Amino acid sequence: MEKLLLGIDALNFLEKEGFPVLKNALARDENEAAGIAAGIGFPVALKVSSPDVIHKTETGGIVLALEDGGATWEAFKEITSAFLSDHPGKRLEGVIVQKMGSGLELIVGVLRDQQFGPVLMFGLGGIFVEAMKDVSFRCIPIDARDAKEMVEELQAYNVLKSTRKETIDLSVIGDFLLQISKLVERHRGIHEMDLNPVFVSSKGISVCDVRIKIDQ
Amino acid sequence: MMNEKLKWLFSPGSVAVIGASDSFDKLGYHVMKSLVKGRYRGAIYPVNPKAEKLWGIRTYPSLKDIPGEVDLAVIVVPAPSVPGTLQECGQKMVKGVVLITAGYKEIEDSQGETLEGEIKEIAGRYEIPIIGPNTFGFVNMTDGVNASFTYEFSLIKKGGVTLISQSGGFCHLCGFLAMEERMGMAKLMSLGNRVNVDFPEALRHFIEEDDATRVIALYIEGLDEPRGLLEMARSMGGKKPIIAYKAGKSEKGDSASRFHTGSLAGKYEIWKGALRQARILEVTSAEELIDTAKVLDVCAPIKGNRIAVLSGQAGPGMIAADALEDAGLKLAGFTTTTQEKINELLPPVAIRTNPVDMGPAWYSPKAMLDILKVTLEDEGIDGVIFIAMFASANLEVTKTMEGLMKDIEPFKKPVVACFTAPAGVWDEEIKRMDGEKGVAIIHTPERAAKAMGNLWKMQLIMR
Repeated sequence: MEKLLLGIDALNFLEKEGFPVLKNALARDENEAAGIAAGIGFPVALKVSSPDVIHKTETGGIVLALEDGGATWEAFKEITSAFLSDHPGKRLEGVIVQKMGSGLELIVGVLRDQQFGPVLMFGLGGIFVEAMKDVSFRCIPIDARDAKEMVEELQAYNVLKSTRKETIDLSVIGDFLLQISKLVERHRGIHEMDLNPVFVSSKGISVCDVRIKIDQ
Repeated sequence: MMNEKLKWLFSPGSVAVIGASDSFDKLGYHVMKSLVKGRYRGAIYPVNPKAEKLWGIRTYPSLKDIPGEVDLAVIVVPAPSVPGTLQECGQKMVKGVVLITAGYKEIEDSQGETLEGEIKEIAGRYEIPIIGPNTFGFVNMTDGVNASFTYEFSLIKKGGVTLISQSGGFCHLCGFLAMEERMGMAKLMSLGNRVNVDFPEALRHFIEEDDATRVIALYIEGLDEPRGLLEMARSMGGKKPIIAYKAGKSEKGDSASRFHTGSLAGKYEIWKGALRQARILEVTSAEELIDTAKVLDVCAPIKGNRIAVLSGQAGPGMIAADALEDAGLKLAGFTTTTQEKINELLPPVAIRTNPVDMGPAWYSPKAMLDILKVTLEDEGIDGVIFIAMFASANLEVTKTMEGLMKDIEPFKKPVVACFTAPAGVWDEEIKRMDGEKGVAIIHTPERAAKAMGNLWKMQLIMR
């Protein structure tokens, strides 16, 4: 049996396993959304939460960079009504209110290959992954040297090394990859995983969104 | 047990050829030819119930009639009689088998797979390592054992490169390229269907047990369980350099995934990462495999990536300089002392900075060699690419250079040379210089730069 772990459930799972995730909570109405946002601190993002949607960008259920309570209140109403009219039959649990991520977008993934077994993937988000397929792979488990090399062998390595605004500590990314490798070793039921995006900046690394396929 | 037996298999004191023949259209003919004409020094026992003498050698009706011990049995009888033959090998306590016969797992008829299962079972019972089935065999250049159906492999120069291949055809491609490119080899083998000697076993053997092997080249098509090979290579911890050519790049990943990761993961992309993780350097063509293996075998280790390019003609030197960057190398800057010495050796009628145009020294091979020595002396230079194209006026260049080459060995820095001439002109000198005194001779400036770059990449991988 396969089970998908999405949205808040998946983020909570990672947080419990010791991973840094962007602060978030589920809001069921616009007032709750505005309250949560104030608690988390602006800017925030809203994402519809539905067990029937894997890729939120496909359904247009995301609003980014909301700067105050009023905007959050409005945005909640807009995306929920749009979701309900565009996707009749899909369930709506509420809306995730999440702290806006900042820095470079990374993608970290796990898959199980019939021959290789568990495999770890790493890349830079946006055009690097979409257009250039600029990603690196290693068999799980990896060690610190593997993690470092996964980062260094990307064509986009120079982008990581010298962002215009700030300096990113690359060992933070390496450590993160090592932690994911260990997580997959601990939880053999994890079949596939997309951590996309993960934000990295001079302040550190945090997971914004994650999807996990679990074998039960 | 298997490990001990593999030593006997690859360096046998005696070989039985089961299915030996003197008729050209039989594989048994060609295996006999390989052993006899390949000057195998141990005892050869042809086995064939219909003959008393083959290739002038006493022939036995069956394995058990052979009086002495048999270390290696090469089997070329048809597939259905192989299980019985293997049984006899077990009873005769044969130490290893090369099973050339095809018609097993690789064929469409499911009978093939059943027969292969039977073979595996018998081999397991008697603990006999088997190369094959469905292989051309192996050639041991070090000890002069050609246990294959292609005699001409015996003409490959002796050296330190061992090729472990998943394809016999690739061995033929590389074996003959090796002759053309003067690459010295230790062993050449195709694993065939890998009934009980697979990549991990062969790799372990040539790294741990075979001193003649200094560099290992792998040719991989696809494996059901690649982790065995990868973990073995990694556990060898950089004892010997391993390079690999992976074919079948278009193979799709097996995940029909809606996940991003799954859709990005082609098989080849995973292989690339896995090879790197196993400390194996990937090459992407047969010629890159040959050039890289040759340089790794004959050149001194490289300590950095700063390269001097010295060329008898400006153009090819510029090409090499361009190719350096892509290969992960840098054009070195000369120290003042080095530059002064070069200036003394070369009149100021050409470019004397790196890449150096040695055109004005054309008529003086000694001056060219002195420039080479000066750059090798420079501590800011880790390796030299040395180029000379033939022209009627410099006919004698290689002859003089050959005599002077010995002077460059003490520097213990890699020198990759590129001498291009019409057929028959510099051939003999090139043949004698290539692979000696730490010099590798490679066909073109681009390939020379790439090979030098791979020497550096391997250094990084192995550290």
